Amino acid sequence: MEEDLLICRCEEVTLKEILEAIKEGVRTVDEIKRRTRAGMGLCQGKTCFRLIARILAEQTGQPIEEVLPPTSRPPVRPVALGILASTEEEEGSDVP
Amino acid sequence: MFPDVVIIGGGIIGCSCAYYLSREGVKVHLVEKGPLGSGASKAGEGHICLWEQPEINLRLEKASRILYDTLSNELPLDIEYKRTGSVAIAESPADLRSLEQTVRLLQAEGLSCQLLNRDEIAELEPNLARDIAGGALFPEDAKVQPMLATIALAQAAKKNGAVIQTFTEVTGIELSTSKAVVAVNTTAGRIPTKAVVCAAGVWSGAIGKMVGLDIPVIPRKGHIVVTEPVPNNVINHKIILEAGYMQTLGAEGGVAIAANIQQDHLHGEILLGSTREFAGFDCSVNPDVIEAMVARNIRFLPCLAGIHAIRAYAGLRPYTPDLLPIISEVDTVEGFYVATGHEGIGITMGPITGKLISQLITGQKPDLPLKQLSLSRFNQT
Repeated sequence: MEEDLLICRCEEVTLKEILEAIKEGVRTVDEIKRRTRAGMGLCQGKTCFRLIARILAEQTGQPIEEVLPPTSRPPVRPVALGILASTEEEEGSDVP
Repeated sequence: MFPDVVIIGGGIIGCSCAYYLSREGVKVHLVEKGPLGSGASKAGEGHICLWEQPEINLRLEKASRILYDTLSNELPLDIEYKRTGSVAIAESPADLRSLEQTVRLLQAEGLSCQLLNRDEIAELEPNLARDIAGGALFPEDAKVQPMLATIALAQAAKKNGAVIQTFTEVTGIELSTSKAVVAVNTTAGRIPTKAVVCAAGVWSGAIGKMVGLDIPVIPRKGHIVVTEPVPNNVINHKIILEAGYMQTLGAEGGVAIAANIQQDHLHGEILLGSTREFAGFDCSVNPDVIEAMVARNIRFLPCLAGIHAIRAYAGLRPYTPDLLPIISEVDTVEGFYVATGHEGIGITMGPITGKLISQLITGQKPDLPLKQLSLSRFNQT
């Protein structure tokens, strides 16, 4: 595989950076995220977490379930702060 | 063959202890139950804050910031450290008067800072709401990426010969009949040693119990919302807090909220805080709290309303009843040291804490007097 291959497109993290982190001894997708920012961007790891989990599993011999992050954080998709701050308005805005 | 010191906890405090001890040639073995930085270190914003009172806190913060100035060059990773300065917002004239006292106190300590009237703060930060009384500028404050700082300190310690063992939990501490540390037992085996540093953050109480000590640290929950990356001119100073933030430190019941807006100077996302509440070890995100917290931030920076949130989370700060950290040896248990209880300023105080603990263990004179930070202060009724 090419080492400059982009694994996390939002944060532009390459395969090389992921492999370096694994070489340093990280064992989970969460640790890779904290070290490289992979999965911290707009899509919040929806694309790259599975890829990273596979790379980790291959490199370390762990089962995929053990390397995946335990939690996914709210919100599920980006939401305007103005809406987060006023739940009532959001509900009200559906009414014509 | 055996380590001189076992450090319990791989957050900013434990890793900093490992770094400063290993630099002195001490054989260090750090044990962390999860990955590095998996407690309070991962949950904060990376504000290196130089305006907390009382005086001892300010002195610790000042000394630690000076260490960061050189650390950022010593460490093997870029820790994204920058002297950004910070801006405090005074909503009311009363807030401005109390901010004025803080400014005077800091100036007396030789720190540069400046009180701002309504027009001056508007000039520095044009996007702030106009209906505020004024504020202050703290040019000495800085930002750092907390996870990278934690990991870099651990890597540097490792280069100095330290053992950094993650995913290993401490199950007990063996003492001799004269109550001196003999060994640390872990899920990965027994480690004979004569000294232990408890740097276990919110879990310090459980570690203290293993040697019959009451370490009065309890978790204090805080929420954060992260936004999409936004341009650098949304806020000029990368840290903007409402002056009332300092009052939330002393809040006792319910959920205390204060606006805290911090932009990552390299990547552009904004982190919004802050809340303080006692909720045990619960880290769940409470939508009602998020709603109120975000509203408080929009009140001061209205253009936030159109910016998108991409993530919300909650973390736990290691709180002590008098809001001072514990950096201490322990008279009753020989070889047991405590470095914990930094509440929301662990990232700020990490380096100086590690250095002070290293000085205590190697028998050097500490850079700062540690009496106010001793564990025994809690037993004096």
